Amino acid sequence: MDGPVRKILVYIDGTEQSITAAQYAICLSKATGAELTALYVVNVRALNDLVKAKIFIETEQAEYQRDLHADAERYLNHVKNLARGKGVVIETESKSGTPYMEIKNTIIERKIDLLIIGELSRIRSRRDEFFNEAERAMRNAPCSVLIVKDEDRVWDIFEGLV
Amino acid sequence: MALLDLISEDIIKVPLVSTSKSEVIKELIQVLKDAGKIEDTAKAYEAVMKREDMGSTGLEKGIAVPHAKTDQVKTLTIAIGVAPSGVEFNAIDGEKSKIFFLILAPPDQSGPHIEALADIARITRSEAFCRLLNASKSAKEVVDMFCEE
Repeated sequence: MDGPVRKILVYIDGTEQSITAAQYAICLSKATGAELTALYVVNVRALNDLVKAKIFIETEQAEYQRDLHADAERYLNHVKNLARGKGVVIETESKSGTPYMEIKNTIIERKIDLLIIGELSRIRSRRDEFFNEAERAMRNAPCSVLIVKDEDRVWDIFEGLV
Repeated sequence: MALLDLISEDIIKVPLVSTSKSEVIKELIQVLKDAGKIEDTAKAYEAVMKREDMGSTGLEKGIAVPHAKTDQVKTLTIAIGVAPSGVEFNAIDGEKSKIFFLILAPPDQSGPHIEALADIARITRSEAFCRLLNASKSAKEVVDMFCEE
């Protein structure tokens, strides 16, 4: 298809904001006919930091890694069901690594032209600027980025979608 | 979820009065109860001690990060305590622990739990920050320090 948006990637991290972003992405996909992909990244970097810092013991690392993969599956299935309910085809992909890097890689691999992410949490310290993964994704994405805000309005649009 | 979103004056105790590992954990859990974050202190304590029995969360340079998954909290919950004189916590470097981050997470929220712990791991790499934290005199000072970090 022609048009400004052909392939949309929505980043899911399990937050309510990312689910709202998915709802908006589904609406946009339906309206434009753009292909839609949902991506979840298991944050292995954070897990490795904890092992390096000796906060996690080996058994804990394995347990949490399993939990994170289960989370990824659960959230992607939820998004898949949301799309299916609105008659929108969605592809889902789960990756492991540093979220902002994997988002960037996926954009390149799939030739995505629009990244959709949920509302960013408020930056309250300098550290937040460096380590907020959605913020880093926004700054590093090689395509246009849409940040979804106003959960109530998005909910109304999504609910009204037939 | 940013670590700072979890930090407020009512979940910080400076200084801690306890002088043993089990007492410190109980004191921090009580802080969470007083802040209205948990109901059943005994169950929360049991979960934290179960994790401590697998290996102490006392790290190097006076930091301890006792943590556990428990259904006693609905969202990720943290308490911070400072004991300037130090408490024997079986830390990996054999030193007394002075700064405590107690983290309780619901069993189905491993992602935010890991991110909060990783945030703490990154912050406590700074010896200067830990020194300032250890010298803090009030909960407000601790909150301000995290905001400035």
